[in-house]
Amino acid sequence: MIVCVSVVGHQNNPLYIQSFTDADDALKLHHVVHCSLDVIEERVNNPKTTLNEAFLGLLYPTLNYKVYGYLTNTKVKFILVTTDLDVRDTDVRNFFRKFHAAYVDAVSNPFHVPGKKITSRTFAQTVSNIVGSYGLN
Amino acid sequence: LSLSRPARLFSSGGIRSELGRRIQALPSFKTQPQGAMAGSAPEKKLNQVLEGHPGSKMMEEEYPEELRTPPVSLVALFGCSELHSSITNHLHSQQPPINALAFPEFSHLPLLLLAHRDHPHVINNPTFSSFRDPLSDSSVVPSGGILKRDWLLKHRTKVPALVAAFFPSHHISGDPTQWLQVCSNLDTLKSVIRPKNIKLVVVVVQSSPHEVISEDRLLALRKRAELDSKYVLFLNHSELPLSLPRIASAFSELALAYYREEARRIKSRIEKRSSTSLDLIVRYCFKVAVYAEFRRDWGEALKFYEDSYHSLHEMIGTSTRLPAIQRLVEIKTIAELLHFKISTLLLHGGKLTEAVIWFHQHKSSYDKVVGSTEYIFLHWEWMSRQFLVFAELLEASSATVQSFSSLNQGTAQIPLTEFEFYPAYYYQLAAHYLQNKKSALELLVSMSVAAQEIDGSSESITPSVYVGQFSQLREKGEALTLHFITDEEYIRYAISEAKRFQDSFEIVAWLKKSYESFTNLKSRRMAAFCAFEIAREYFGLSDPSNAKFFFDITVNLYRQEGWVSLLWEVLGYLRECSRNLGVFKDFVELSLEMVALPVTSCDDFGNLRDKTYGPGGPATVSRRESIHREVFTLLCRETELISSTEESGFKFAIDSPLHLEIDLVSPLRPVLLASVAFHEQMIKPRSLCAITLSLLSHLPLPVEIDHLEVQFNQSTCNFVVRNSQKPLVASPSSTVQSDSQEENEPSLVLVPNNWLRLTYAIKPEKSGKLECLSVLAKLGTRFTISSRAESPAAMEDSPVWKHENYVQSLPTKDPILAVFGQKATQVEEPEPQVDVSLGASGPALVGENFTMPIVVTSKGHAVYSGELKINLVDVGGGGLFSPREAEPFSLESHHVEICGIDGAEGNDESESETGNIKKIQQSFGLVSVPNLKEGESWSCKLEIKWHRAKPVMLFVSLGYLPQGSEANAQKVHIHKSLQIEGKMPLVINNRFMLPYRRDHLLLNRIKPAPDSEDISSLPLNEKSVLVVSAKNCTEIALKLMCMSIELDDEQGKTSCLIQQGGGGGETSGSANLAPGEEFKKVFTVIPTMRTPKLSLGSVHLKWRRQGDYTEEACVSTKHKLPEVNVDASPLVMSLNCPPYAILGESFTYAITICNQTQLLQEAKFALADAQSFVLSGSHSNTVSVLPKSEHVLSYKLVPLTCGQQQLPKITLTSVRYSAEFQPSTIASTVFVFPSAPQANSTAK
Repeated sequence: MIVCVSVVGHQNNPLYIQSFTDADDALKLHHVVHCSLDVIEERVNNPKTTLNEAFLGLLYPTLNYKVYGYLTNTKVKFILVTTDLDVRDTDVRNFFRKFHAAYVDAVSNPFHVPGKKITSRTFAQTVSNIVGSYGLN
Repeated sequence: LSLSRPARLFSSGGIRSELGRRIQALPSFKTQPQGAMAGSAPEKKLNQVLEGHPGSKMMEEEYPEELRTPPVSLVALFGCSELHSSITNHLHSQQPPINALAFPEFSHLPLLLLAHRDHPHVINNPTFSSFRDPLSDSSVVPSGGILKRDWLLKHRTKVPALVAAFFPSHHISGDPTQWLQVCSNLDTLKSVIRPKNIKLVVVVVQSSPHEVISEDRLLALRKRAELDSKYVLFLNHSELPLSLPRIASAFSELALAYYREEARRIKSRIEKRSSTSLDLIVRYCFKVAVYAEFRRDWGEALKFYEDSYHSLHEMIGTSTRLPAIQRLVEIKTIAELLHFKISTLLLHGGKLTEAVIWFHQHKSSYDKVVGSTEYIFLHWEWMSRQFLVFAELLEASSATVQSFSSLNQGTAQIPLTEFEFYPAYYYQLAAHYLQNKKSALELLVSMSVAAQEIDGSSESITPSVYVGQFSQLREKGEALTLHFITDEEYIRYAISEAKRFQDSFEIVAWLKKSYESFTNLKSRRMAAFCAFEIAREYFGLSDPSNAKFFFDITVNLYRQEGWVSLLWEVLGYLRECSRNLGVFKDFVELSLEMVALPVTSCDDFGNLRDKTYGPGGPATVSRRESIHREVFTLLCRETELISSTEESGFKFAIDSPLHLEIDLVSPLRPVLLASVAFHEQMIKPRSLCAITLSLLSHLPLPVEIDHLEVQFNQSTCNFVVRNSQKPLVASPSSTVQSDSQEENEPSLVLVPNNWLRLTYAIKPEKSGKLECLSVLAKLGTRFTISSRAESPAAMEDSPVWKHENYVQSLPTKDPILAVFGQKATQVEEPEPQVDVSLGASGPALVGENFTMPIVVTSKGHAVYSGELKINLVDVGGGGLFSPREAEPFSLESHHVEICGIDGAEGNDESESETGNIKKIQQSFGLVSVPNLKEGESWSCKLEIKWHRAKPVMLFVSLGYLPQGSEANAQKVHIHKSLQIEGKMPLVINNRFMLPYRRDHLLLNRIKPAPDSEDISSLPLNEKSVLVVSAKNCTEIALKLMCMSIELDDEQGKTSCLIQQGGGGGETSGSANLAPGEEFKKVFTVIPTMRTPKLSLGSVHLKWRRQGDYTEEACVSTKHKLPEVNVDASPLVMSLNCPPYAILGESFTYAITICNQTQLLQEAKFALADAQSFVLSGSHSNTVSVLPKSEHVLSYKLVPLTCGQQQLPKITLTSVRYSAEFQPSTIASTVFVFPSAPQANSTAK
């Protein structure tokens, strides 16, 4: 189950963060997402590894969560936190592909100011649909 | 602060020091050098904080020596005690080393096998004294546990792999009693070691190499000992170094054989798996692995440890031997032990990735094995220990691994990430699990009354003989017995043990380790998270100062990256810290920052689950509002109400004034944003100008301001805006003068997210930049906020977070002002009311002192401390220059310079002026102007001299104070400039003329030298004529005073004779020259020396402008005459003819050829016919002229036409010089009158 998705701007500022749990651990998830930015930074800045694709794979496992990352060409990061133990790579890739499309739609809105938080309700709705359909197929 | 945990699993002991030495030799045990942590102040503070907890090596405390280090073979030595020390030392130095137990006498033999009974837990316990060897009969009797606590130690320190019996040779070959003693010793030895399969070696000690022992005796010895001859060794006292290696190799060989056989024996039992229980298989696998370790067969050891581990895992849920909780505790304890062994082996083998994967599996297979949920703290503690131990193992071995990125990142099934290779990751999680344990324990203790009563003193529960088991020690009279305990008893024991420890200190210590290493790895966010956890732990420990230190680290990062929700939480904690520390200013600042955060979530669930929120509460609008109310109640309270400070948490009266400064980078900027815009970019002094003041606050509730103070860089402009609804409080203000401008507003209320726009007019006094610095708002009686003023044009949002949910409005109504408005404006200078005039215009003449009168006339302003600056600037390219003229320009030679300033004529006051500054440089001058009253004037004359003809720009600027000697008065400036042309006044030319009708053959004129083209040639000792002309090329009439030629030096005077022509009619050479007019003067020159370059000196010309009669105005100009070539002429040809001729009357035309040389000169001549004359005489011929004599060619000519007629032209060719020359055309003309002129006769 996906417990949290987040869009992080290129100054590492949160643009959108939404948790999907009933429990009140939103803050914990914020911490998890924030810490995962270190892994992205290390992976991006590591000269030995070259990033061939936007999908960054598993960032790190912590406690009961697994954190996956995705980096767009505009250096906007998508972060996914899941509680699943067995995560299929293709599922995560699919998720990020759909999520990226939703993000592109949201920021293409002429009233959206780049670098500002995404407050679009349509985007939130789309994201929760994508999260709901995650892992079903 | 450091609390050491006692060993919980094993009792340690044994030969620690020896093994410790071996351990140090292993490179993989080297500890990682700590990163240099020195330098900046915060780091120092951090070091101090960290030093509070010395890095406790939990691993060493958790596990005994024998588990942490690889085992070493053990041998026992009997007899010949004098050799023991050297043998022991030699065995230690072997690779691999061998430990030795030394017994000096055979009588000590019973000690060998009794030794291992000296177990601390067993020693007082008679029921355990008849302990049977587990190897011999464990398969028969069901065991009470899985692993015995002392088994490993026993095999490392008590049970030798072989026994070496030392006999002196004379005992063997000696008398029968000695031999019998040897035999009986051997028999006893054999009887003891045989059942345990311990190997035997007999060493015969010889005193000398030549000592001979009879074969019979040796054979008998071998038979008695039942040994192969290989294991009967000889040792020579004298050849000890030679014998020792032999002994050592035999020992190690036998020890290996012993451990191999033991392992094989147990392996065979494992193969009968079906018949034995799982716990025995676990035990057997463990033992096989240990024996493999004795043999240094790491691969097999690893394999069997893993087998043991997997078998153990199968036991979960199947084993029923013990009560449920204790059963799980035992399994987990052994799993931990096996995991530790496996991880150690993997890491020492350099298999880092495998070790991490192994840990991953270990963690996930036991993650869910929680056991009783009521006592979950046991599980959390165990989990925490797993992470901690692995962290330490990883840290110890990380020195050997250079780079994680080069590692294979896990397998396809288990992808590994970078962080899983960092010990910090495990430390952090260990701390996390310990936090879980702590809170679970606290919950348990608070829930059950029974748990609260447990204090641990009455119980006498100790670890049992089996690993992971506990039993009760009961006293029965003299004897002590161990009894099994129930789960309740165990839990009571576990809780009492757990209560003894202050987990917080360990959590902090591990997190600090993690924090440090994340900081070194430049993982700022991980480090910040650790710092946050540390701070929270300190906060829980009621240590606000340490908590604040770590919260501050965290809060900076969150502020920077704009994680509002995280920031809110940390600020909530920090606010509480400052409340506890009693720092009121911090408290207010933090509260205001929290309140101004862009938190907009409104979902305020009715149930505030305080557990998950920090002291700041949930990040909601209503919470913001309540904090806002709290802090403003505190701030704006009346003095009388201060008594209620207790309830706010502050222990002291907070009536001292509080002042907050907000600058552009302050996190408090959203609290009060001040935008100031001048309506005009340039304003006149002393005239009103409009300024708009816009204030914005992101506070959730409206705030009423008592008054505002607006501060400028010109403090006279500062003004105050008062809220007329508030009573006027005469508050002393340092920034606003009492007589300054005051405005009143009906209300000054900052509505959230709405600009409060105020427009006023101010009257600047001084010129220059006028900038608004800050806006100070006074709220209540003691609280002031000063916000730095910002220009609307330069106003930026905070880079990372924005107040998205509000409508963005402009600070001013005027959109142009909102986009381009500036907080600064330029105040112009007052209009100068003084006139500066430059009296002359030029052109100036080169050489003269050009006078420029400057007149300063006051026309309304008095002039005080006036200063006149004069600048001459070369107008490069302004005029038309030939490049040749511009060429010799250099910085040193100024072509135009200021010669002097003749100041203040007709103004005596200036002379008495003491501070009369007069600085003159070549192109710059500074003159002070005396004080002038209105209507007065002052003038001075500037003298400028041109050295070259070129235009120059003259800049004159006057700076003065219009209002006397006021200290802060501002100067007014007037600028004037004028371009002045510099011109050459006179052009001087010269011309040489040779004597009339005398032509000299000048050889160098015929064959000129290449470089002497322009040089005119003069004949030696002949009188030549020099005509010097001076032409006025200006538009000004000049008066020429005199003209003369001055020879340069003595040599010139001897080599040349120059006289003024005109027969001494000295008219002093003075003449008036109108523009364009030319003046000529004739000189005669007689060169007396033959030289190719004769200097004729220079022409001196004195002149002045016409109408200027002062002597000083006379300018002398020099003109250097060109050099001439003086040559002696070998032949001179003179034409003689009458001055005029009369038509039809004959006259004589004689041509004299004069030879001036000592040689005979042959000259050819040819006379051309002329049309106007009839000629008699030879046309051409060759004549020889004797040295120093003349030859005259005489012709009779009859003119045929009137007028100026050309005489027949003669061409003379000197044969000697092959040079031909002719008289000039002008010289060979004559005027022919039609009849004899009558004029002369009539005059007579």
